[in-house]
Parts: sequence; structure tokens; C-alpha cells
Amino acid sequence: MNSRDRVLAALHRQPADRTPVCNPTSVATVELMDLSDSHFPDANRDPERMARLAATSYTELGFDSIMPVFSIIQESSALGCKIQWEQKDNWPTVRMREPIYTEPGDIRIPPDFLLHPDIQCVLNAIRILRKEYGNDVAIIGKTMGPWSLGYHCFGVEPFLLMSLDDEGKTKLCLDRLKEATIQFGLAQIEAGADALTLPDHATGDLVSGEYYARYLRDLHIEFAQRLPIPLILHICGRTVDRMGYIAQTGMAAFHYDSKNDPAESMAIVKDKIALIGNINNPETLFSKGPEEVRSEVFRNLDAGVDLIGPECAIPLQTTIENLKEIPKAVRDWHKEHVH
Amino acid sequence: MPQLEDIRNDFLRQEVSDFIERPEERAKIIGLIAKASPAMQQIGAALIEGQNKVVDQLTRSALDAGTPALEVMDDGLIAAMAIVGIKFRENFIFVPEVLSCARAMKAGMAHIEPILSASGIEPIAKVVMGTVKGDLHDIGKNLCIMMLRGAGFEVIDLGVDTSPDRFLQAVEEHNAPLMGMSALLTTTMPNMGRTIEAFIDADLRDQVKIMVGGAPVTQDFADEMGADGYGKDAVACVALAKKLVGAAA
Repeated sequence: MNSRDRVLAALHRQPADRTPVCNPTSVATVELMDLSDSHFPDANRDPERMARLAATSYTELGFDSIMPVFSIIQESSALGCKIQWEQKDNWPTVRMREPIYTEPGDIRIPPDFLLHPDIQCVLNAIRILRKEYGNDVAIIGKTMGPWSLGYHCFGVEPFLLMSLDDEGKTKLCLDRLKEATIQFGLAQIEAGADALTLPDHATGDLVSGEYYARYLRDLHIEFAQRLPIPLILHICGRTVDRMGYIAQTGMAAFHYDSKNDPAESMAIVKDKIALIGNINNPETLFSKGPEEVRSEVFRNLDAGVDLIGPECAIPLQTTIENLKEIPKAVRDWHKEHVH
Repeated sequence: MPQLEDIRNDFLRQEVSDFIERPEERAKIIGLIAKASPAMQQIGAALIEGQNKVVDQLTRSALDAGTPALEVMDDGLIAAMAIVGIKFRENFIFVPEVLSCARAMKAGMAHIEPILSASGIEPIAKVVMGTVKGDLHDIGKNLCIMMLRGAGFEVIDLGVDTSPDRFLQAVEEHNAPLMGMSALLTTTMPNMGRTIEAFIDADLRDQVKIMVGGAPVTQDFADEMGADGYGKDAVACVALAKKLVGAAA
């Protein structure tokens, strides 16, 4: 089985020769930027550099997937948000203190949305990767969900207050923003993506599980129906109180955070959705060594987690040594657990 | 010692009964609210329900009727925010609800602040707060600010992407004994250490207590950076701030 087949099998919850290693958010690090001579901020805006840096997750780290979108800002840039592109050692961020919308009526997906350079960059990077690696490795795209776009376009506080003050208005915003999610997702499928990550940050650190059910469950069901490849929902933070709802969406997988216990999470989602992730970023991958990384990998494998990887975008100063330990630990675990 | 039944407002009594579980906190909150007049309890109830227009109107009426501004702030607004903070910490409510309560608090404080300021009443302490250089995320910092203001601190908010020099300048300008830094990104966390170093270089480190927080920040990281304290959430931030300035918890 090659890496692509392994990832796709796991996303379809079918048997694989071993558990795949995958990060559906970002594996970019400063060391990998140096190795590939492809640095931020250019690697977020130039398709060749984006593809070159992304490919290191497969060529240097031994992961089974490539994710060329290192940030969460490409669509927001195309919608008109101001972006702080930053430097080599920091991620680009939307200037959310300068919102572009205040009312649902302000939302307008530009007719040339897909032609925007920051959208084209991702599409071209996927094409380059598909051409370079054929069907050897899973190429994962990323399209932001409407809740996250709401934060970017309205500002976090105004958007959250709107969600409490006016449910109808909030749903209208989400309904209009979802078209950006779908357009960008379909374009990435056409460019050659095998699966799509769909970050939609309705995290337990900000909103309740009931909020997820009220505002997002139906939309996520719709995405699973309209985007015809495996979807990987990503939500940071505490999410056990909404995993039951997430498991009902028809999405292929849920990329989950280390704030959730693997065994408890598996018990909640049962066999309705695959789980990915959970290796702690700030405290383990960033701050500790291979031994601690290995122990977290084993904890997830012991719990039956379907795809192993970091919980979210890897801290840019993470060492390659720690990242390489993830696939190594997965292989070692499987040697110990031969059926 | 006042008991739950001594809280005359039905809504507030129910809130305490349903959501304040730790015995020591329960006793303290009951003590705070039971001594408040019915009008102050009414203001507190409206704040917890996020009714900013009602808080605005009730605060104005109470002040017009001669209730001292300090009493309205302490017995009406701050007592209610204490309940809000505990409900948030225990996940009974989430950020939208806290934002709504903070908006109501702000509506009341708009009437109170000018009176307190004119009468020379001092806050618990001044606190300079900001998100560190390179980081544009501010919801966590803003929640801390809302809770700090709700507890009687005066907060100087430096916003996001704050350079070490800006922190230095603000602490000096406002003569603030306390400062808080926030970071959401692992890439910007080290800027907390750089800011602390800037205070050491400027020979100002001993003049200010520095607290840090943010999703990826831990107690170990705070210790390593040389911070005076770490708060894991907005409620912990207020407790830490009180401890660092020596105010009663």
C-alpha cells in the first residue's frame, strides 16, 4: 500500500497495512523552510514555493500526506480582509480588528473569487504536487468553513455577539459565506486534491456544543454532500461535547486537539467518523523530545485513533527530529502489534 | 453568616443555587449579594442576563435616586460579574454570553466611571494589558480585560501586536504596578520573554509584576520566561492580578 492508498483507506475507515501519519493543517517549520529554500511569507503566496515546502512532509518527514495550505487566510484575503503576512518565523494572520462586514447584506463572494492570486496560489500548488507525486501520496487541500470566515470578516467579538443576539441573522451570514467554502473546495478537487480539510473553529474554548448543533451541524452535512471527496473537519480546543454531533455529519474524519482524551473521543464517535491528530503541539512537539512524542503516538494508537498526527498547525520552531519520531513510532507500534 | 435564602432576588438566588458549587465561593458570593439592596440585586440580575439596556436604565435610576456610585458598582455590577466569571470557568456559559454580560457591565459603568473619577476614588490598581508582537489575536486578552474591569481594576488596553517598547512606555506613562501579556501562537510566545528582557534592560523589572496567558502558554513556560504569574483563563487572571497587587481575593 502506498501513502495515498493508506490515507484514503483510513479516511474511508477501511483496513490499511498500517495507521497513516497525516497532518491536515500545516507541517511547515523553519527548518523545513531552510531545507526546501522556501520561506514564509513567500511560501504562502507563491505556488512553486508553497508546493516545495509542503512536499517536505512526505520527502523529509515520512508523513503519508502533503498539505500545501499552511495558514487559514487564503479565502479571507480573496474576500477582501486585510492580511498581516509576517516573516519567516510567524504565520500570516487576518487583521480581524478591521472587519470588512457588519451585516449579512455586506457579504458578497466576488465573481472572480477563484481568480484571486491567493486562491490561485493554492490551486496551482495542488496541480504542481499532483504532477510531481502522481498517486504516491495523499494531497490534501483546505477550504475554510463559514464560522471561521465569520470571525475573519466580522471580527471575533462582533460575530460571537451577533450569534447570541440574532440567530436568524447569524444563520443568514453562514449561509452566504458557505458559498466561498464550496467554491474553493470544488476548485481544489478539480486541481487534484484527494481530500479537503475544512477548519471551522466552533471550539469549546469559545462556544458551546449546543451552538455547534444549532449553527453548524446542518451546514457540515451539506458540505459532506456537495464536496464529493473525503472531508476532514478541524476544530481546535475542547470538542468532546460536540463530537457526537460531528460524527453525524457524514464527514470522513475529525482532526481533534490534545485537550480531548483519545479513548473518550473514540468512544463518542464510535465508527461513524475517523479521528486524526491529538499529538500536543506547544507542550510536546515544540517543547519536549522524541520520547514524549513517541508516548503520545502510542496513546493514540492504543485508543484506536485512525490517523496519527499533530493536533493542529505545527509550531514553526518544532524540530525535524521530533516530527520524524511520529512515523517512526507508528511503525514501531505496528511491529509490536502484528496480528 | 448570610444564607442562600437571604438573597431576596429570585433570579440571583437561583443562579447561586444552580451554578456556584465550591463552598468557599458560594459563601463569598452569598455574602456579597445578600447585603445588596433589592435595587442593586435587580441590576446584578439584569447584567447576568446580558440586558445592557436594562442595566443602563437601572443604573441611571439608582444614581438619580441617590445611591452612591461605588455601591452601584460593587453591589450591583461587580458582584454579578463574579457569578458570570465562575459560570464561564465551569463551562456553564461560553464566550458569547460573557461578551453580552460585559456589554451590560459597560453600559452601567458608563454612568459610574465619571462620578468615581470626579470624586477621586481609586481603582484596585492599574493594569497594562496587550497581545504580544506579531500576534493579532485578542479574544482571550479582551476576556481578561472585561473580568479585570468587572473586578474593579483600571485597565490600559494596548491592543494587539504590541512591541516590548510599547509595553515599557505604557507601564512608565501610567505608573502601572501590573502588566499582562497574551499570545495565541506558539510563534509569538517567545516575545513574552523578549518583552520581559526589555524591562530588565531598562531597569524597570522590579517596578512591575508581569502576568502571562494564552492558549499555548503554560506555567512552565511562564516560569522559564521569568513572569511573575500565569493565568489559565480570565477568572484565574483576576485572581492572579489581585494576588500580585496584594488586594483581597
